[in-house]
This record gives sequence, C-alpha cells and structure tokens, in this order.
Amino acid sequence: MDVGSLLASGFAVALTPTNLLYCLLGSVIGTAIGVLPGLGPPATIALLLPVTYGMPPTSAVILLAGIFYGAMYAGSTTSILLNIPGEAASVVTCIDGYQMARQGRAGAALAVSAIGSFVAGTVSIVGLMLLAPPLAQFALRFGAPENAALLAVGLMMVGYLGGGSVVKNLAMAVVGLVLGTVGLDPIMGTQRFTYGVYKLAEGFEFILVAMGLFGIGEVLVNYERAVAPEVLRTRIAGLLGTREDWRRAALPLTRGSLLGFFIGVLPGGGAVVASFITYALEKRLSRHPERFGRGAVEGVAAPEAANNAAATSSFIPLLTLGIPGNASIALILAALLIHGIRPGPLLVSDQPQVFWGLVASMYLGNVLLLVLNLPLIRLWVSLLRVPYRHLGPLILVVVLVGAYSVNNNPTDVGIVVVFGALGWILRRLDFEPAPLVLAMILGPQLEAALRRTLIYSHGDFGVFLQRPISAALLGVAALMMLVPAARRLLARRPWQPPAPLEERSDS
Amino acid sequence: MPRRDAVAAAAILLLAAAVVREAGRLPFGSARSPGEGFVPWWLGVILGVLALILLLRSLLERRAAGAPQPRRTGRPLAVLLALAAYAVAVDPLGYPLCTFLLVVVTLAPRSPREALPALALALATAGGSYVLFAVWLGVPLPAGPLAR
Repeated sequence: MDVGSLLASGFAVALTPTNLLYCLLGSVIGTAIGVLPGLGPPATIALLLPVTYGMPPTSAVILLAGIFYGAMYAGSTTSILLNIPGEAASVVTCIDGYQMARQGRAGAALAVSAIGSFVAGTVSIVGLMLLAPPLAQFALRFGAPENAALLAVGLMMVGYLGGGSVVKNLAMAVVGLVLGTVGLDPIMGTQRFTYGVYKLAEGFEFILVAMGLFGIGEVLVNYERAVAPEVLRTRIAGLLGTREDWRRAALPLTRGSLLGFFIGVLPGGGAVVASFITYALEKRLSRHPERFGRGAVEGVAAPEAANNAAATSSFIPLLTLGIPGNASIALILAALLIHGIRPGPLLVSDQPQVFWGLVASMYLGNVLLLVLNLPLIRLWVSLLRVPYRHLGPLILVVVLVGAYSVNNNPTDVGIVVVFGALGWILRRLDFEPAPLVLAMILGPQLEAALRRTLIYSHGDFGVFLQRPISAALLGVAALMMLVPAARRLLARRPWQPPAPLEERSDS
Repeated sequence: MPRRDAVAAAAILLLAAAVVREAGRLPFGSARSPGEGFVPWWLGVILGVLALILLLRSLLERRAAGAPQPRRTGRPLAVLLALAAYAVAVDPLGYPLCTFLLVVVTLAPRSPREALPALALALATAGGSYVLFAVWLGVPLPAGPLAR
C-alpha cells in the first residue's frame, strides 16, 4: 500500500468518535498542563496511565500523545504572559515573548507562537510519516550487537543532551539501569535482588516509580518554591499579528521547524535542546542581534516551532526502534507495553492501525490545538488564577488514587510516596529524574542484548567494532564524549571571551 | 553547590558499593558466558567511578557566589509526612477520611478565616473524588469505618 492509502486507513481509525474524543481530551489536558507552570507532561502522563488500562491501545496512545504535544503547544503562554515557562521547552520563549508582552504585543507573540507551533507540528508529522517506515525497515537488520550499541548510545545521549550536569545525568541513568536489574534475570529467568519480597519478583513497577518521581516529586518541589507568579496585566489584542511580524517570523519559523525535527529524533535531544539551539542560531544569523532579548518576534517563532517539531519527531525512535528519547515518550512506551504492544521495527507493519492511527490523530490534534490556543486563549489565561495551593492537593489525590488502582493495594501507595520523596530530593540536589526513568525501562533490553552478544561472540567485545552499524553508533558515542572535552579545553584559552547570558535582556 | 554535590556523591558512592557487594553474591560467569551478577557488578563499578568524579569535582569547585534561592523546606516535609501517614492509614481508616485529612494538611490553613474554605475544599475533594473514582469508575477504594 502507498503512503496515501495507509494515511487514509489511519484517518479511518482516528476519526472514530471514541478516538476523536480521546484526541480532543488529550489536546485539552495537554493545553491545560502546558499553561499551568509546575505540572509537566511526564507527571500528567504518569497520572493518567492507570486510566488508560481499560482503553484500546490506539486510543490510549492517541490520548497520551495528545497530552505531550499539547503541552508543548501551550507551554509558551506562561512564558509570554508571566515570564515563567509552562514547560522546560518554553524557557527560551520567555526571553523575547515576555518583552513583547510588556510592550503591549502579547497578542502577536501568542499568535506567532500558536501558528508557528501549528506549522512546525504539521511539518514534523509529514517527516514522521515519511521517515518512520523506511527507518523501521532498516532497523530490521539489527541484531543483538546493534541493539546493545543503540541502547547504550541512546542512554549516553540522554546524559549528554538532557540538560544539567552530564556526570549527574549519567549517574542517574546508571541508577536507573541498576533498578532495572531488580526482578527476573532477562537471560536465565532467575530472581535477582528480590530478597524474598514477592512484589519485587517482576521488578519495580515502572508506573509507580514514574508517578512518584514525576507526580509527587513535582508537587513537593512546587510547595518548596516561595515565590508565587503574577500574571502580567496586559490586554491580549491583535491575535493575528501584523504583516511585519509574519515577515520577520517566516524564515526563523521554517528553520526552527526543520532543525527541531532533526534534533527531536535524537535520544535526549528533544524539545528543550531544540528550542535553545534554534534561538542561538537565529540570534547568530540575524542582522540585528541586539534586538534579541528586547522583544524580537524571531526569538519567539524559532524556539516555539522547534520545540513542537521536536516533540512530534521524538516519536520516531520510539515507533521505529522502540527507544524513547525522553521521559514522556518513555511513559507512552510503558502504556504500549501494558497493552501488549512492543514498539520497534515491526510495529509499522504488524500494528499499522496503531502507527497510522497515531499519525492521523496528530494531524487532527494539531488543528484542534490551533483552535484551543488562539480563539480560546483568554479561557486558558483564566486558569492561571487557580492558586497552586489549591491545585497541589488535587494532583496528589489523583496520584494516590492512580497508585492504588494499579493493583488495588495500599503498598503501592507507599511505594509511590517513597519514590516521590526520592524525586524531591533528587531535584533539590539538581539531579534530573528523567535519565533514571529512561534507563530503568531500557535496562532489561540493554542487558539482554549485551549478554546475548557476548555469548554469540564468545566473550569478544571486538564484535561491536566489526559490525558496521554498531561500530558507527559507538563512533557517535565516542565523538560525543570527545567533542565537549575538546571544547572545554579550547574555552580555557585566554583569548576566547565567554558570552555571558545576562547580556540578552535586563535593559 | 559544591557541598550538596559532595553529599550526593557520597550517597551514590555508598549505593555503588552496595550494588557491587550484592552483585558479587550472584553468579558472575565470564565474558564468554555472563551470569546474573555480571551486568549489575559492572554497573556498580561504573556508578562508583561517576560518584568519584562528582565528589572530586565538588571538592575542587569553588563555592558559588550569590544569594541562595529562597526555599520553604518545612512545607514539603509536612506534606511528605502526611503522605507517608496516608499510605499506612488508607486501608484501615478508608479513602474518604484519609483524603479529607490529607487535603486539610496540604492546604495548611493559617487562620480561622482560612480554615472554613480549606475544610470545604477538603470535603469536596474527598467526597467528589470518591464518587468519581470508586462509584463511577469502579476503582475499589477502601471505604473505611465510615461506610460501615
């Protein structure tokens, strides 16, 4: 079948009343959490995972994906109006978006952000649709060595590109791998590190870990913050932007979409890295870089396009290789696994209704989000008036009910609370929980692939370099380790002045 | 935060030592035929190396200048304690009562004027969520002695 027919079959799946409803629900929830600072997509997806148990798998993935890309879409609202990013991927949008709002151009900033997100999302869905099937075909050639190398490189990339300290990220990834070894040994089938506790025989339940780390952990962090945000009292007018705004935004939007798409495919790359890189690129390419930080529309268009394109393209490694690139995607992987679907090279051919149904729902979701984010923007802004002290208990109650409903067992509530405490402590110490969660879910696959490779090669580690694909992947990993080290060495040379971030605004 | 990093590195180092020790009790095998302890043992070693790098960095790094971020540790600690108590009490006392108490503690009313809305919100959350999850969605939440 050609792409057109496959996409038509996807629309037949996505346009059923149930799936359409879940797509709308995902977009609405995603927009709400994108607008609300202090509640991110991983936490929300973790909270709603138990709700998806009773749904058909395609509906579940449509709902959760909608939450993820919906949050990316709406994360800019608070960046523009409050100078507080709704999501990490909208941090950069604060710089020029808030300045535009202070100058009375909040409407234009919101318009460029929403329409830019729509264009970038659409470009990225087309890319996903065209790139994923051939990549899945290619991945069918992968054996145990290639899988082991791919998973190892993926985890390293999460460490290097995930933001914050590389050493801390890698340490978190290794802790996640260690947690992943608890339970049944993937080769021998014997129990490890269970200490006679029956509950640990199948390992730590991923959903409980994720709900604790992201759900409770995030609420505790927000309770700790002393400062309450204030909405900028500005009139939201001119929600289409001027011709001059669009003339300036057109090229950054295109570049942001394309660059965001490619960065999103990388594990650990994702929307946050994409938004930072495109902002830096636009500032460098601009003939008037001094306008950046003072309300340049390009500074809103490029990162917002990039983070939306990256959010969509980050589904490519999940759907074709079975590798999640960020915490939200890892949770969507968990949802698919719960439904007995293992994402990977065979997903596109064996479960076309899931793949093409999801692609079609993304087109629909993108249109829904444009409607939700432009004409209804005032409604979402009013959501910001709900104080966090009222929102926090509600989130906690949903987490606790979700934890209880996994096995109808109060012990699970205790496990979630323990991981919630861990999530809070980790954030206090500037450790990101995302690499831990990713590694925990990928750990058993990595271990099985590594041990199988060693058994087949009679303990010869050289097999990784003898096979071209795994050699290339390890080459990428080596480059990733060497390039930052070399850059650090070069940066120490006295003639190279550092570029302070503070110079961008505060004028 | 060099001092915090040093504490974190020390904790990770302890964890790494525990992993190496526990993995050492499992069959290690060899590179030709790796056993159950092979991967966890190496993970413990790698974790130890990363902890040492972090520790070394934190000791060499100079203390960062500038005022520390304002934090309210008491509040999240109180909420965490309430959550721990909730986990223990939810089965014997039941979901509605425990949820009501948890919401009151998390709202932490500071004056009698704040108490009434807090109690009302706690009642609405406990009752509303019980009806939604237990009655409508069929989650078998423990009703506790109030239902008997």
